Amino acid sequence: MSVVRKAAGRRIFLAACGFLLFVCLLGAGDSPNPRAKTYIKKLKNGHYQLIVDKKPYIVKGACYSPIPIGQNHEYDWWSDPNKPWIADGKLMKEMGLNTIRIYQPGENPEAVKRVLKDLYELYGIRVIMGHWLGFWEYPCPFYGDRFFQDKIKKEVFEMVELYKDEPGILFWSLGNENNYSCLRDVNIWPSEEVDKEPDPQKQKAIRARIYYSFINELTKQIHQIDPNHPVALGNGELVGLDFAKDYAPDIDLVACIIYRGKTFGNLFNSLKATFDRPIVLAEFGADAYDSYLQKEDQNMQAFFLESQWRQIYENLANSKAGAGNCLGGTMFEWTDEWWKHDENNPDSWKAHDTGAGWSNGSYYFDIKAEGNKNMNEEWFGIVSLSEELENGLNKRLPRKAYYVLREFWSKPALNNTKKRVKK
Amino acid sequence: MKKFLVLMFAALIIAPAFAQEQTNVATKAEPAAAAKEFVVYSDKNARNNHYIPSGWMGDYGDIKLNDQAMDNPYSGATSMQFSYSSKKSQAKGWAGVYWQNPANNWGSKKGGFDLTGMTKLTLWARGAKGGEVIQKFKVGGIGIEPKATYPDSAEVETEPVELTDTWKQYTINLAGKDLSYISGGFGWVTTSDLNPDGATFYIDDIKFEADPAMKPEGKKLEGMPFYIYSDRTSPKNHFIPSGWMGDYGDIKYEGASKEDPYLGDSCIKIIYNGKAAQGARWAGIFWQNPANNWGGSDGGYDLSKAAKLTFWARGANGGERIEEFKVGGIMGEYSDSDSATIGPVILNKEWTQYSIDLKGKDMSYIIGGFAWATNIDNNPEGATFYLDEIKYE
Repeated sequence: MSVVRKAAGRRIFLAACGFLLFVCLLGAGDSPNPRAKTYIKKLKNGHYQLIVDKKPYIVKGACYSPIPIGQNHEYDWWSDPNKPWIADGKLMKEMGLNTIRIYQPGENPEAVKRVLKDLYELYGIRVIMGHWLGFWEYPCPFYGDRFFQDKIKKEVFEMVELYKDEPGILFWSLGNENNYSCLRDVNIWPSEEVDKEPDPQKQKAIRARIYYSFINELTKQIHQIDPNHPVALGNGELVGLDFAKDYAPDIDLVACIIYRGKTFGNLFNSLKATFDRPIVLAEFGADAYDSYLQKEDQNMQAFFLESQWRQIYENLANSKAGAGNCLGGTMFEWTDEWWKHDENNPDSWKAHDTGAGWSNGSYYFDIKAEGNKNMNEEWFGIVSLSEELENGLNKRLPRKAYYVLREFWSKPALNNTKKRVKK
Repeated sequence: MKKFLVLMFAALIIAPAFAQEQTNVATKAEPAAAAKEFVVYSDKNARNNHYIPSGWMGDYGDIKLNDQAMDNPYSGATSMQFSYSSKKSQAKGWAGVYWQNPANNWGSKKGGFDLTGMTKLTLWARGAKGGEVIQKFKVGGIGIEPKATYPDSAEVETEPVELTDTWKQYTINLAGKDLSYISGGFGWVTTSDLNPDGATFYIDDIKFEADPAMKPEGKKLEGMPFYIYSDRTSPKNHFIPSGWMGDYGDIKYEGASKEDPYLGDSCIKIIYNGKAAQGARWAGIFWQNPANNWGGSDGGYDLSKAAKLTFWARGANGGERIEEFKVGGIMGEYSDSDSATIGPVILNKEWTQYSIDLKGKDMSYIIGGFAWATNIDNNPEGATFYLDEIKYE
């Protein structure tokens, strides 16, 4: 059962038809769900809107992982007595941000519920709740193995059962670039069927079929457990969506992870042509450190983020020139994370490393850095962290992008070149 | 028009700029905006010649210049005769000549001219036999990459040109370009692949002109088929195999292999030795426009009509594994508008055609026309393979 539904034309007539249709289909057990609190609406012009509490909702968000200085990703921030989400939520609300994306909930359900409630009740901030689907499990995610699949299913369905009634949940998101384990060389997994196939292109196709079929099984079951929230596919770029079209048709939207610098290029139209689903840019952004000049450059980060958000808005529903299939985005990320550059060295978690881990020519201002490495993982925060403590937390210092986006969200300037950030 | 009248007219127009050049050349580029034309070369020792053909590039030992060829000049008493031997004296495989100001200035000295207001450069050229191929005529581009102290403010190049044995005028559209500082007034480049037996050709009457009818050139929608590689000498070839990646020291590229080409008289032979010369453990080549463009400069083609890219490939032994064949995907300030890939591909010993589907892709701006990449893990002994007939359709 999908929570995607098409728009009506004449309201009264179609509302009546819709109601009748609903009543009829409800008995068949395969209906759109007009009572769903959050659903995706397909408009007559083929554009998509996310509807929350009966109103169109633009996802204005950030990925959220408030790891304090000196800790790493294993830190259970959900149970942090200093409640970082309270200070962050206040700043977020003042900025105009309405959504955070979380990669996977913490292990203590009560703590997770507390965070969801606080963010929603205090600041009206909703959560895209994700699950890694075991992508980083050692030695690799065995998506072709029934036991592994069952283990992941159990975790995912438990997550949905636990939090589906939390009013702060916006939608579910499955995976984060897990498609690269099928179609690129990240965490490649074996299976009996794959191993029998000598042709490497066909091996990829087999992995993609297995993975996206698994995604579809998860999605169908989530729809059964929770008809009130859509299910997103957390996909790296658009890689593999031609397979998703065939094997994961129940997916409601694509949550795309993408780093293309100042422009998303043909992303929106390309998605439409490949797998016609709405899209949330689930991970994108720019770091605030110039690897070439070796100094912080908040202007550079603001330049890219403003450009990216402008394109997101240009492709929302009913946009004049855009594809109309974009629902918004969650930029990477809310705060800096000081553990990321040298994650196996606890001493380095206390230092704000300026080393760059990878190269991306789309971020061209510092591409001439040594080895062309210009992506500084510890400097992606819209808000930087200070070693100075404030109420037990590293003090939050909003970067220029915070203010630029606050202004943009309050008055989106799509064609006003004078308002654009100059680098 | 009689030469005398031309000279009188040109002298009247150009005298102010020329006079300024004499006095100010060491301080700043001079505006030529008031003039209707600005001569690069008209005749041997003409007073209105503003640039000197001093910038010999690539296999400079392959070039001979007779700057007072009296054999059928287009106008006046002389033209410039270039003889390119194609002997690869400096082992580059290409050669060219820049007209510079001042002579031998590669951007370290202040010189050049402010040509704001000019909208085109015209020249006349002919081949001694006809069929000689100039890879490109160009304006500007000195000192841009790598950046020199005094870089030109623009770089404009033409497509390959096949000369005829009679004089023909060629035009480089400069409308909308920043011509505020041009020290490389004009240049030509060609390659031994395009002229395996060498080439003798003549150039005459090179000048900038302020033609108000010229409009800035958008990207032209290219017709299909659009070749990346047809044959070594083909003027239909586009993009340059300049983007060597990863262990570039492991690659040997031969653009004119005679070893059983699929079609025509030549194909591309690539030897990857898998020695990890740069420690990357992988290697590849991007065909780019302009050469060495990683998205840092404007270029490329509008290939919106393309529905697919096809090419023929074979391995020397069969079983060579190419991880990826790719179209587009170069990201930078000027990013490709889209990308598409196939792979891994295990090559057959016999020629096999492969296709990259471009349906639904935005091919309106492509600077990375084609690429391959492979790695040492899947080719521990290296790989030798051949490519031919690479084209958009």
